[in-house]
Amino acid sequence: MDRLITVEELEAATNSLLENGKKVGADSWQQRVKNQTPHCGFGEAGTCCRICSMGPCRITPKAPRGICGCDVHGIVGRNFLKFTAGGAAAHSDHGREIMHTLHQTSADGNYQVKDPDKLIRIAKEWGVETEGKDIYELAHEMAEVGLMEYGKPFGYQNFLKRAPEHTQKLWEDAELRPEAIDREISRSLHMTHMGCSSLPEALIQQSLRVGLADGWGGSMMGTEFSDVLFGTPKPIDTTANIGVMEKDMVNIIVHGHDPSLSEMIVYYANDPEMIALAKSVGAKGINIAGVCCTANEVAMRHGIPMAGNFLSQENVVLTGACEAIVVDVQCIFPALGPLSKCFHTKFVTTSPIARIPDSEFVQFSAETAGENAKAIVKMAVENFVNRKAELVNIPDQKTNARVGYSVEAIVKVLDGVANSQVDTFGTTKPLLECVTSGVLRGAVAMVGCNNPKIRPDYAHIELMKKLIANDIIIIVSGCSAQAAAKAGLLDPVVAKEYCGAGLKRVCELANIPPVLHMGSCVDISRMLILASELSKDSGIPISQLPVVGCAPEWMSEKAVSIGNYVVATGLDTFLGVDPYVKGSSEIRDWLTGEDGINKWVEANYVVETDIEKLGDKMIERIEAKRAALGI
Amino acid sequence: MTLFERVFGGNDAVYGLTVSAVDNAIAQYGESQAVSFPDTAYALPCYFGVTGVKVTTLGEMKAALDVIKSLMTRNARLNDAFMSGVATALCAEFIEALKYLNGATPYEMPCYGHLADAVIRNLGVPLVTGDIPGVAVILGEAPSADEAVELVKSYQAQGILVTLVGGVIDQLEEKGFKTGDNVRVIPLGKDVTAVIHVVSVAVRAALIFGNIAGGDAAGLMKYTFERVPAFVNAFKPLDDVIVACGAGAIALGFPVITNETENIFRVPKSLIVQEDVSKFNATSLEARDIKLKITKIDIPVSFASAFEGEIIRRGDMQIEIDGSRKDCFELVTTTDPLEIEDHKIVVEGPELDEFEVGSKISVSYTIEVGGKNMQPDFEAVMERKIHSYLNCIEGVMHTGQRDMIRIRISKADYEAGFRLKHIGEVLYAKIKSEFEAVVDKCQVKIVVGDEANKVLRAHANEVFNKRDDRLRTMTDESVDQFYTCTMCQAFSPSHVCIVTPERLGLCGAVSWLDAKATNELDPTGPCQIVPKTNCLDEKMGRYVDVDEAVNKYSHGALEHVTLYSLFQDPMTSCGCFECICGVEPVSMGVVITCREHPGMTPLGMTFSEMASMTGGGVQTPGFMGHGKHFISSHKFIAAEGGPGRIVWLPKLLKDQIRDHLDATAKEMYGVDNFTDMIADETVCTEDPEQLLAFLTEVGHPVLSMEPFDM
Repeated sequence: MDRLITVEELEAATNSLLENGKKVGADSWQQRVKNQTPHCGFGEAGTCCRICSMGPCRITPKAPRGICGCDVHGIVGRNFLKFTAGGAAAHSDHGREIMHTLHQTSADGNYQVKDPDKLIRIAKEWGVETEGKDIYELAHEMAEVGLMEYGKPFGYQNFLKRAPEHTQKLWEDAELRPEAIDREISRSLHMTHMGCSSLPEALIQQSLRVGLADGWGGSMMGTEFSDVLFGTPKPIDTTANIGVMEKDMVNIIVHGHDPSLSEMIVYYANDPEMIALAKSVGAKGINIAGVCCTANEVAMRHGIPMAGNFLSQENVVLTGACEAIVVDVQCIFPALGPLSKCFHTKFVTTSPIARIPDSEFVQFSAETAGENAKAIVKMAVENFVNRKAELVNIPDQKTNARVGYSVEAIVKVLDGVANSQVDTFGTTKPLLECVTSGVLRGAVAMVGCNNPKIRPDYAHIELMKKLIANDIIIIVSGCSAQAAAKAGLLDPVVAKEYCGAGLKRVCELANIPPVLHMGSCVDISRMLILASELSKDSGIPISQLPVVGCAPEWMSEKAVSIGNYVVATGLDTFLGVDPYVKGSSEIRDWLTGEDGINKWVEANYVVETDIEKLGDKMIERIEAKRAALGI
Repeated sequence: MTLFERVFGGNDAVYGLTVSAVDNAIAQYGESQAVSFPDTAYALPCYFGVTGVKVTTLGEMKAALDVIKSLMTRNARLNDAFMSGVATALCAEFIEALKYLNGATPYEMPCYGHLADAVIRNLGVPLVTGDIPGVAVILGEAPSADEAVELVKSYQAQGILVTLVGGVIDQLEEKGFKTGDNVRVIPLGKDVTAVIHVVSVAVRAALIFGNIAGGDAAGLMKYTFERVPAFVNAFKPLDDVIVACGAGAIALGFPVITNETENIFRVPKSLIVQEDVSKFNATSLEARDIKLKITKIDIPVSFASAFEGEIIRRGDMQIEIDGSRKDCFELVTTTDPLEIEDHKIVVEGPELDEFEVGSKISVSYTIEVGGKNMQPDFEAVMERKIHSYLNCIEGVMHTGQRDMIRIRISKADYEAGFRLKHIGEVLYAKIKSEFEAVVDKCQVKIVVGDEANKVLRAHANEVFNKRDDRLRTMTDESVDQFYTCTMCQAFSPSHVCIVTPERLGLCGAVSWLDAKATNELDPTGPCQIVPKTNCLDEKMGRYVDVDEAVNKYSHGALEHVTLYSLFQDPMTSCGCFECICGVEPVSMGVVITCREHPGMTPLGMTFSEMASMTGGGVQTPGFMGHGKHFISSHKFIAAEGGPGRIVWLPKLLKDQIRDHLDATAKEMYGVDNFTDMIADETVCTEDPEQLLAFLTEVGHPVLSMEPFDM
């Protein structure tokens, strides 16, 4: 494509797939949204309490307190904290799995250390002796140190020291420094137990703290040690959107979040024995494509195409050309079970964390990863013969995408535009110069999911278009990244034409797309590191940089945890969906007001469900920060 | 103050000055007063490039000020700053144009002011070959005159074209530094507005080579950004006006390097603060991604393409190798590699130390090359490059070729230790580096002395005669393949030359043998083989394979090209053609003029104006760019009757091609002294009737030809 794909075109493709589904009586999320509408008003406002069996209590003007006497602010605050803790638990447990995988590495085993330099760098950061150690000896030791971050009895998260001193001071003063990750999650659930906290201030404080335990703890370990295991991402060109599925090949879709599984599937899909098997059943080969954050992980390390994001997961099955959809954890629709039964598709679950009816369960473990993966690939290939030609419908929608902008890769890009006669390499200064001179107005970190409450992908794509036209560079992760990819916003050739003159020039000089793909949702920790580096290189606190965060279509608990750690790191965070807090003026004020969390972390939330206005507000905030800096 | 506020402030100031300057001029001369720059077909080229409108009178200029104002938007976005920079440049162009009002000649040596279209066409080839790797624009006054000289010298030694604006001009003059277009250091003018004269060169490059239409401002800026390797060195203090001009430069893609540290913002690869002026050169080259072709040659003086046009006057001369009075020659010859000792340089006979100052001496140099891919056909290709190689030596001037050479070596070179053996070093190094794919081994033998060279010259002449015989028999029919040449695509992305034995590249620099050698040296490079099969029309020179090649290598911009017709799908041009021919409708002949001839032709157009009809890979039936040597070929517009159609040529061009043209006309039409039947500027300049009268008087063969089938 020589232009961006529009939301209307994306919808047309989805509609043609739904027609396919109708032929076989498939259910769809679009239908289920209708069935679930209208949603429960108490649930939406966060004013329903069911943490004990005296209730459920629902707050109304006539019944302003629950049976225990808790007011609406305590109920909404507790719900908000529980929601956050759920997200922090999921993200951090993903990080923990990675640490266990690291512990399994060996030179000739299923998993190796692909980026030993990074391992050594982190070891030095953590004060672990590296001299004279075999890399695997070090890896195992680091895995144990990392796992202790989840349960160590004393002290704070190791990675907090990566933050600028100003930020660390804010955290210390407001008592926001997270201790062991599991402790913070437990503490959250303890605080929200019947008869514990109902003070809004304490509940919000803990929400930020458990969020930080995720962002600067579990998520950051998930990201950093995935890089150690599978390689630190570098810019790589791939393709995106539903058209990446191949009519004549065995299509295996990987979906979920943990790269330990998908890495192995990718490996065995390239196995000559498997390719020969595929040819023997009449396929031209094996095509792996990703959905959701697993797509981000394998795209940025191997250039595996990205078929779609969260609300596209049913679409890949609806093509009738999906031999297997292989999933690990998080964001997997149980609907895939019944849906796969309408087609020949094998729905393969692999993690004890995500057990789903109507799936084939192949328990995946680091010890047996190779044979598990090979068995799964073989199952998919052998399923090719069961494909029904009359049900195959792959919409011809495909874009180019350049992905893989880890912080290390971004710094390398910036080195490329630095001048060796005047600059030092290895810093973010070239980016800061673009911002202070006004060539770029600022940056927005766009993250988060899809949510049927927002026209899918519309907010991501339209906000990005608006921001880049205003010379605001965008970093993306998670399903926002895939929305960008599906539209063509990660295509350096196409997307630059939608930029203002400043961002366009930056893209041309640095040979980058205006929207930089930083990875999966766990990789939002990369954004924290980037913000910290910008702050350290400029001497400007993070909160004063013209940089904000935005999750316009978020839906999961993880997203709320992310929002809390992003805002607690000093970045104003703009949401397009209300986090179930509109029932309490106090909680709202704590999150969005001038006298709330702002006092602690110099940043707050903006909730605006009108997407056009959400964009205007971000631009206004960025310009206000510029004015305050006199740039 | 933010960077954009400075740009806006500077732009407002210049706009105000321009409005009053235009008003004052109108008050003095009236609105109908003509306004123009000399020797350009593009009116006020920058304004034309940006808007597509040719401003020709003061009244039009007044109206154009409103258009400029509309560019001056004031949002805090780079686009606004860029367009305000462009607006500032356009204002500068108006101010400079007003200086030329009423036939005034506002610039005197050493300053050039406006540069003619022909200058730009001359720059085309060296820019694409990398002989001119970049264009420096130095603005303001260096911290000291010595630093100014050092900086300019550093660029000159790299072959970079240097243009100067402001105080640096006086600084160079104070130090007695030689400037001028022949040494690629061009002082433009002392007012900051004079910078527009180099911007105008970049803009016209886009119009001439890039086929950018006037008014396509975005296309224009993309072209200069991607293809014109210019950059700016601006000395402190930078006021808002210079900052606004800088925004214009950056908009065109030219980074600005400055030593200003006060109230300035840094922008990677665009606005770079370098406090150390001695590092301006390295900083600028890195900022603009200019890669130098480096040939390390062990000689005691500089070697750079900037010295190619340097003139050594008699008074500055230590010695002269004079082929007009003595036996001298230069020869490249293929030898069995086993008989060559690589990098052996021998001088037989006395060295320079043994001659009086000002002596004229007999010298020959024979370059023996060998290698498994070497072909004798490449000897002439290499030999023709000697002129350029030796001229690149600072303080050495070379003219002529074969046994008619003249080389002057300056006293300064002699004092620096330059000797004849260094000529051998230069020839060895250049041949080895530029022809490395075919030359495995190379040695140079230099012979000094009348006796020895008398014998050697006779032998060399036998070689030259044999080569000429081969060239004479080499026709388009005698070979089985042609070549493309897309060397110019760096500038002219949709042009493709088809090079045949009888039709050399339109720039004059690429013959069929050159193309063949280039293909051999770089099989995936600019010269690709075009098999000569599937002829559709022999007279027209229409081939299926040629069409396929132009289609492929023009990336679909061209579908059909004929080799020998002026009307049917004529071959396109990049813009750096030596000559252009155009139809003269009264006589049904063609007029040819060349780049060196600035005057009018009977078409009522100068070279520049005719040249602006084509170029950039566009087909304009009735107009065609070509090389000089093509004129005397049997194939020249063969479809329309051949060179017998030529009715007018500039006198200097006539003298260059007379012998060959007369011979061709004798063979084709049985006419003697055909060149004398062709009119030139001494016979008529503008009047076609006068031309027709002359042709009738001399009995020109065109009068008996059929009218053109237009």
